[in-house]
Amino acid sequence: MKAHLAEALHPSRDPADPADPPARNRRPCLPASVSRAASALPGVLMLLIVIGLNAHLQPDFFSADSLSSNLQNAAPVILICMAQAVVVLAGELDLSVGAGISLVNCALAGLPVLTGWDTGATCLVALAAALAAGVCNGVLVGYLRQSALIATFATSAIWFGVALLLMPQPGGTVPEVLGDWFAMRVGPVPLAAVPVVAAVALWAVLQRHRFGRRLIATGSSTEAVFKSGIDTRRIKLLAYVLAWLFVFGAALCISAETASGDARLGLPYTLNSVAAVVIGGISLAGGRGSMIGAISGALVLVLIGNVVYFAGIPSNYQELFKGAVIVVALGFTFIGARRSA
Amino acid sequence: MKEMLNSRRTLLLALVVLLLVGGQLVVPGFTNASQFANQLKIATFLGLFGISQTLVMMAGGQGLDLSVGAAATLGGMVGAALIDQGSAGLLLAFGAAALCGAVIGAINGVGITLFKVPPLVMTLAMGSLVDGALIVWSSVMHVNTAASPTLVALAGGGVAGVPTIAAFWLAAASLVWWFVDHSAWGRRLMATGANPTAARLTGGRVRHVRIAVYVASATIASLVGVLLVGYVGQAFLGLGTSYVLTSVVVAVIGGVSLAGGRGDYVAVAIAAIFLTVLTSLLTALQIGEAGRQCIFGATLLAFLAINGWSVKGRLSIG
Repeated sequence: MKAHLAEALHPSRDPADPADPPARNRRPCLPASVSRAASALPGVLMLLIVIGLNAHLQPDFFSADSLSSNLQNAAPVILICMAQAVVVLAGELDLSVGAGISLVNCALAGLPVLTGWDTGATCLVALAAALAAGVCNGVLVGYLRQSALIATFATSAIWFGVALLLMPQPGGTVPEVLGDWFAMRVGPVPLAAVPVVAAVALWAVLQRHRFGRRLIATGSSTEAVFKSGIDTRRIKLLAYVLAWLFVFGAALCISAETASGDARLGLPYTLNSVAAVVIGGISLAGGRGSMIGAISGALVLVLIGNVVYFAGIPSNYQELFKGAVIVVALGFTFIGARRSA
Repeated sequence: MKEMLNSRRTLLLALVVLLLVGGQLVVPGFTNASQFANQLKIATFLGLFGISQTLVMMAGGQGLDLSVGAAATLGGMVGAALIDQGSAGLLLAFGAAALCGAVIGAINGVGITLFKVPPLVMTLAMGSLVDGALIVWSSVMHVNTAASPTLVALAGGGVAGVPTIAAFWLAAASLVWWFVDHSAWGRRLMATGANPTAARLTGGRVRHVRIAVYVASATIASLVGVLLVGYVGQAFLGLGTSYVLTSVVVAVIGGVSLAGGRGDYVAVAIAAIFLTVLTSLLTALQIGEAGRQCIFGATLLAFLAINGWSVKGRLSIG
């Protein structure tokens, strides 16, 4: 019925009509899932190389002990990179995720001392603080349309300030339950994997549903999505809130690992998360890339440290290596962009 | 007259005066001469790094240079390594630093214009690469890192209570002001930032302008790095790191648009003084780092809001 109507309205759009531009010049259109996965290819490739180097340098790399300790190290980095990836896919950026880790960490370590709350209440308040910070960033960027770069840098100073207010000096102890739980293992699987698996599952579900689609669409063209009647401001706000849920998870892992509070703890994670997103092939312009890429990027950053350590390279080369990996990733992105152009 | 009252320069100047008067009332001795000279020195470095950021942001295309910190550290370390007692060594140090900066800037510019890497990523990667290389260099080669007496005198000294580097800054600021507001080059730069397509169609070479701007940015940062060595007394890793984001902040507070094509260096310079006075007032009031960070963030958000309003034309503080 609809086809008839369309034909009646646009009779010249007949496929056999010679006026219609020939289809052979058009590139075959890949399904979205395939092209998404393709963007992560360089990141995954680099991850395989780094895993290969790790396995070569450290013969027991694949043993359960080594894998689970690596996973414990990687869990917070993966989560924080996923947080950044969600925001970047929505076409924005969050430079306050590192300060967010500090905020949650200091809340976990400082609140029991300051207020005498028990573990459950402390965790709930820390979660509420993280989500409130996400809402704040989301409102600034989504609704007030401030530049994400500067606005989240400004809020980053505020979160860091609040973290310092809670814990002026490093120290204190995070509720012990967290540390115990983090170190636990069920068979060969460390419980540190739980938040990562939960985050990945959550994203996998969202990505297949309306919200995930709209988030990526908003990232690729906010204007088009807005004009098609979707409230992009709300999508961006929700993207920040989702990201800060992941930030909370990352902070929980880090706090469990260090077992104490430090307001400067999270700061280096901000730029690392951006680097991981770039390595993972997610376009900073938004809307292009996959979570697999971000996770690969995070693992590359973690495992590069291992390579430097086990190869006996002085640790002062680590920064240079990281810079080089990012530059190589940029090169890949450039080649990819040329091919699809 | 109305334009005068509404301009960003006047707003910032009024805020500076307000802070100084308020500071003098609350903390006696806040505005004495030595304190003043000290603040001027701190503001000078902030303002000089602000030149880099102002130029890059004006050229548009989401322009931003996050490698200024690394460029300054590189310039400072190379400068310190080449410096000796005489003034010839000083020239050599500045020359070598400028060359290093120009190379960094050229790579940034080519990556951003020809390879279309977003400036944020390109300059971040470049900064991390240079920082990494410097860590390796400083651990392998053991070269001089101390500033020579000439350099210390140049960067730390003063004539009649006015720091020498503040005079430098004044000269540099006038040059930038003339360049941006009154030269054909400056017009080209603004046009490129405001509308690259129109600039290209009217014969502007957008890529050339943008590459030139990144070269200028990193070169200035490297030269300032040498001065910074003279001020601090020694070159060390991470010399310029603290200026990376503060220089962006100064430019934003000074009203330079991240979208490009709009900006006024005089306002940026006053913004540098404003931020310095604000920081030192908070320190004098014995507000801890926690409070300082919060106030800093809130100030930046407030100016972002003003920038947003002035773009939409609801408020003309632009």
